[in-house]
Amino acid sequence: MTERNLPGMSFNEALEDKLAQANWSRREFLGRVAAFGAAAALTQLLIACGQAGGSPSAAAPSTAPTPAGSTTAEATLPAEPTAVPKPEDKLFVYNWDSYIGEDTVAKFQEKYNIEVTYDNFPDEATQIGKLQSDGKGGGYDVSYPASTWVPSFIQDGLVQKIDHSLIPNLKNLNAAWQDPDYDPGNAYSIPNFWWTTGYAWDPKDVPGELTSWAELWDPSRKNKMSMLDDLRECFAAGAFRLGLSPNTTDLGELDQILALLEEQKPLLRFYTATDQITDMVNQVVEMAHCWSGDWVQMTYDKPRFKYVIPSEGSIKGNDVMIITAGAEHPIAAHLWIDFNLDPEISAASTNYIGYMGPNDAALPLIDDYIKTDPRLNPPQEILNELIELKYLAPADLAQYTDRWNKLQA
Amino acid sequence: MTSAAKPADIEHVTAPTRDSPAHRSTAAATSVLVLPGVLWLAVFFLVPIGIMAVISLGSVDPTGHITLANPGLGNYGHALDPDFIPALLRSIYYATATTVFSLGIGYPVAYWISRYGGRHKVLLLILVMLPFWTSYLIRTYAWLVILGDNGVLNGTLLDAGVIDEPIPILNTDVSVIIGMTYGFLPYAILPLFVSIDRLDFSMVQAARDLYASGRGAFLHVTLPLTMPGIVAAALLTFIPALGDFVTPSVLGGAQTTTIAKLVQNIFAAGRDWPYGSAFGFLLMGVTLVGTLVALRSLRREVIGASA
Repeated sequence: MTERNLPGMSFNEALEDKLAQANWSRREFLGRVAAFGAAAALTQLLIACGQAGGSPSAAAPSTAPTPAGSTTAEATLPAEPTAVPKPEDKLFVYNWDSYIGEDTVAKFQEKYNIEVTYDNFPDEATQIGKLQSDGKGGGYDVSYPASTWVPSFIQDGLVQKIDHSLIPNLKNLNAAWQDPDYDPGNAYSIPNFWWTTGYAWDPKDVPGELTSWAELWDPSRKNKMSMLDDLRECFAAGAFRLGLSPNTTDLGELDQILALLEEQKPLLRFYTATDQITDMVNQVVEMAHCWSGDWVQMTYDKPRFKYVIPSEGSIKGNDVMIITAGAEHPIAAHLWIDFNLDPEISAASTNYIGYMGPNDAALPLIDDYIKTDPRLNPPQEILNELIELKYLAPADLAQYTDRWNKLQA
Repeated sequence: MTSAAKPADIEHVTAPTRDSPAHRSTAAATSVLVLPGVLWLAVFFLVPIGIMAVISLGSVDPTGHITLANPGLGNYGHALDPDFIPALLRSIYYATATTVFSLGIGYPVAYWISRYGGRHKVLLLILVMLPFWTSYLIRTYAWLVILGDNGVLNGTLLDAGVIDEPIPILNTDVSVIIGMTYGFLPYAILPLFVSIDRLDFSMVQAARDLYASGRGAFLHVTLPLTMPGIVAAALLTFIPALGDFVTPSVLGGAQTTTIAKLVQNIFAAGRDWPYGSAFGFLLMGVTLVGTLVALRSLRREVIGASA
C-alpha cells in the first residue's frame, strides 16, 4: 500500500498525537466537526431563514421549471463553444465527508487559481434539505446528490443544464454511462462514483464468512453494532430480510419492516452516517451497516476487516455532479466537473476513498484491489441483482418518516 | 398631575414629574435605546415565528412544495401521536437532570467565587466563560475522547485496576447528561453569582447572631434571598437543554433520541416543513406553559419566603 492509503500519515503530527487516543486522523476529526456543523447550522437555518424557499411561489425560479436549466445555461455561458469563458474566482462545493481525493481541492485551486469553499454534510437528508432550502441550490455551485434525485431536481428547476463543450473529459466516461435513464444524455448531471450497501465486521470478534442481513439482528452482539442514520437504507435492510422491495410504499409492508427494525433497535449502539468508519476502526462496534467505500477506508487502518453484500439482496447506487440553478460561479463549476473527470484526478480520488465510477480512462490508474473486488467494482451479474432506491413522492416519504420517528422515539 | 403640579413649582426643581421636559427626554432616550432590541426581536424572532405559524397550517403538495391550499390543524393532531411520548419524556428527563446537576455544581462554585474570590473575582468569572471561546461542537467532540470505550476515563480506570474491561459510557443516558451539564453549567453559574454577590451578608450574620446554625442560616436566609438567581439559572439551563440537538446527537446513541431529533428528522429526512413547524410549535407551547407554571409557583414561594 502506498502512502496515500494511510490517511493522516502526511498530516501534522502534533495534532495526530493529540487525537491518537481516539485513533482519529486529523482528516476524520475535522471532517466530523465540519459535517456536524453543517447539520447544526441547517436546523437553525431551516427555522430561521429558509421558509421563503419552500413556498410554491419562491420555489419556482423566475423562469419556468423545465426550460430553466437551458435558459440559465445559455444566459450565463456564451453560445460560442470555441473559447473557454473566463472562470469566476470562487467556487462553492457541497459534498460528503471523506468523498474526494486527498489533494483534489488543493490541486484544482492551484491549477485554476479559483478559491474553493468545500463544505461537507453529515447525511443525505441534510444535503437535500440545504439544496432545496431556496429552491436553487442553497448557495452552492456544485453538489453530489444520488442519481435518484436528478429527475425531481430537473422538474423543480434546481439544477442547470450542463454545457458539454466545457467538459472535454466527458469522453472518459464509459459508453454505458453516456445516456442514463435518470438523465438522458447527461444533460443536467455527470456520473461520479457508484457504491453498494452492506455491512462490515471485525473477524477478530465475529468469526466466519457472514452473508445474511440477519447478522445485524444477532442479540449476542448487543451494543456492538451500528446502522446507517438513513431511513431509506435502514428500511431497505429490513425489506430485504422480509423479501420485500426496498422501494415499497405498501403501508402493511412498511409496518412489517418497522416491527423488524424495532426488534433490532435495542441491540444497536447508534445510528450514524458519519462515524461508522472511525467507530469500527476504534472497535467501538464490531459490525456496521455501511457503504462499500466506507469499508475500504476502514481497511486502511484495519486490513483484516471484512465486508459483504448480503445474500438477500442489497442496494446499489451512483451519485452525480450537478450545477445548481442558483450557481453564481457556473464556469468554475464546469471546470470543477471537468477536473474531476480527469483520469489522474479521478483515479487518485478512487484510490483514496475506495469508491470508483464509470471513468474508463481512469481505470488503468486505479489500484488493483479496488478494481478486482466485485464488492467495489461489481460485474454485471451482481449489478443485476442489486436494486436502486427510487425517489419517493412526498406522501409516501411521509409514511417512511413517520415510522422512522416512531422507531427512534 | 398638571393641576396638582401648579401650586408646587418647587417640585419641578427637586424631582421631574411625568410631564416635565426632563422626564420626557428620558422617555424618548429610553425608547431610542430600546428600539434596536425591539427591531432585532421583531425581524429575527417574531417574523420567523409568524412564518412558521402560517406554514404549520399548510401541507406538502405532490411535487414536494409547501402549499396552503387546505389550511388546517391536521399537522398538530399528527404531532400529538402517543408514539412520540417516549422521546418527549426522555428530553424532559435529560433537561431536568442537567438542570439539577448544573445547579448542584453551579451554586457552590458561584458562592465560592462571590465570597472568597476577593480581587480575583473577575478573573474567576472569565474562567467560567472561557469555554465559550471555543465552538460548542468541538468541545462536545472532545468529550468523545474522554468518555470513549478506549478513552481517557476508561483508560485511567483500567490502569488503576478499578475495572477489568471498559464500561460503555458513551452513547448512553450518562454521556448525554454529562455533556449537557458541561455545556450548560456556565449559564447556571452566572445568574447564581449575580444573586449571591448581591446578597447582603449582614443578613446572614444577623441570623447567626440570633442563634441560627450555619445550615439554618443558609436554608432560611441565603437560599430564599438568592432564589431569583436560582430560578433564572434553572430556566436558562432547562429551556435550552430541552431543545438541545447537538449533544444527544454527538454523545448519544440509538437509545437516546430526543424530541429535537424527531423534529430534525421531519425537516431533513422527511422534508415536511409544515409538519415539522407544527411539531416545533407544540414543543414551544409545552416549554412555555411549563415555564410559566414553574415561574408562578416559584414566585409565590419566593415572595412568601422573603416577606
